[in-house]
Amino acid sequence: MGKILMKGCEAIAEAAVLGGCRFYAGYPITPQNELPEYMSVRLPEVGGDFVQGESEVASINMVYGAATVGTRAMTSSSSPGIALKSEGISYLSGANLPALIVNVSRGGPGLGTIQPAQSDYLQATKAMGHGGFRMIVFAPYSLQEAVDLTYNAFDYAERDRNPVLILIDGALGSIKELVELPPMKELPTEQAKWQLGNPTGEKRVARMLTSIYPEAGLETLNRTKGEMAVAWGENDVMVEEFLLDDAEYVVVAYGIAARVAKEAITGLREKGVKIGMIRPITLFPFPKGSFRKLDYGKVKAFIDIEMTVPAQMRDDIALEVLDRAPIYEYGRSGGVLLDDDGVLEAIEKVLEGEA
Amino acid sequence: MKNTLLVGGSGGQGVMSVGTMLAESAAENGKYATFMPVYGPEQRGGSARCTVIISDDEIMSPLPKKVKTLIAMNEQSYKKFINELEEGGILVMNSSRVTSTVAREDIRIVSLPADDIALETGNIRNANIVMIGAYLASTGAMDPAEFMKSLEHKFKNKPEVIEQNRKALDKGAEIGKQTS
Repeated sequence: MGKILMKGCEAIAEAAVLGGCRFYAGYPITPQNELPEYMSVRLPEVGGDFVQGESEVASINMVYGAATVGTRAMTSSSSPGIALKSEGISYLSGANLPALIVNVSRGGPGLGTIQPAQSDYLQATKAMGHGGFRMIVFAPYSLQEAVDLTYNAFDYAERDRNPVLILIDGALGSIKELVELPPMKELPTEQAKWQLGNPTGEKRVARMLTSIYPEAGLETLNRTKGEMAVAWGENDVMVEEFLLDDAEYVVVAYGIAARVAKEAITGLREKGVKIGMIRPITLFPFPKGSFRKLDYGKVKAFIDIEMTVPAQMRDDIALEVLDRAPIYEYGRSGGVLLDDDGVLEAIEKVLEGEA
Repeated sequence: MKNTLLVGGSGGQGVMSVGTMLAESAAENGKYATFMPVYGPEQRGGSARCTVIISDDEIMSPLPKKVKTLIAMNEQSYKKFINELEEGGILVMNSSRVTSTVAREDIRIVSLPADDIALETGNIRNANIVMIGAYLASTGAMDPAEFMKSLEHKFKNKPEVIEQNRKALDKGAEIGKQTS
């Protein structure tokens, strides 16, 4: 199949279906309505089910229900809607259930704005709900990458029995560009040992899934989840290291911000500036290794570029860089988009020692 | 070559649809393309804008500060977006609706009464196609004939629509060519 022009939200929806999604529940919110709209037509075509819930809370709990019987289930929303779902996402993790959550983020806090922003980094990577659980967070920067990551998201979720988050901003959600779609994935034919329901009718011990641990057991779960997150850091980090070999200046950016930054970096390289970029593709686990292997005798400064103010990823950068080089930040926020000139000027200020 | 285009107009003037058609057609012709809509909270009658980038190479940033070409479908969008046109850029303006005198002297202007032409060629709703004809012919972003092929494919079950579009596109391209 060749490349076709698709809209971000629709490309993610299609990739989820191709990756095995057979249940979607959600509640409308801009700028991600094209995703449920697409699902409402597409899922019935493949024998799946689409539900527009009466609220975000209802929707995430329907996803919980579908996940208990082994159906690949997802929901999507935008920032304030994701916040409403956070309790249910925590319950998913607490009950060891796989699911796919997509946040097409917009400006905040509060109802904020319907325009795009990258203001949910901290929520996504530190505390997507109460109780101290973590999730793998994918942050694609192109629609092709969004398709590829979404397509495989259920494999991670089922391997870990934990929800997975895809975080993109509203601009990538509404942009149209070329994507190549993968083939439809074969769904697992055998029921996993934890899944509810008894399709074959065999005699077996009753199964239970819950996120409440009235007696012992919760600490064990906490330990297991903690070890799982450490293992992600060893095995599942995804990062693009762009022109880092001789870099004196290192931009750190993800998603839409990384695209604008890459354009600026390419231009500056043509002028002989030794500049490169670390682009986290998994925001959690954070690509610590890319910072550890830098030659700090050479690196003069880091520039954190995010479409949010103040920068949020900066804390994670600082934990790796410590005081070995200064970290500057540049961003736009509140629904104002980054643009080529603004990003280039911000980088040039750092180069000229004026930041 | 990388062509950045901003199309501005009011809801209902076919800004989004023509932007999408252009990006789709560029993609069908082996180019890279991105289409970026910006919706306000308004719908019909509100302002609508989109950015279309057509390039021979993979497109990195979809967020240029300034564009090489501005298609202004009406007065409001002309006023709102004229300063987003880069120096030496091309303004393609619908003189049926843009009433301002253009003050900038550092740009090239392709002015045509797209509403009137669309009406003459069969349907006032094709003003956006007239403008695209002028845009393609004056910038060389793509061969208007290639764009027409995409329209033929898109409307293959509506021959009368194809003919109206062809006339609108040709007329726009004719005017665009004179100023290229």
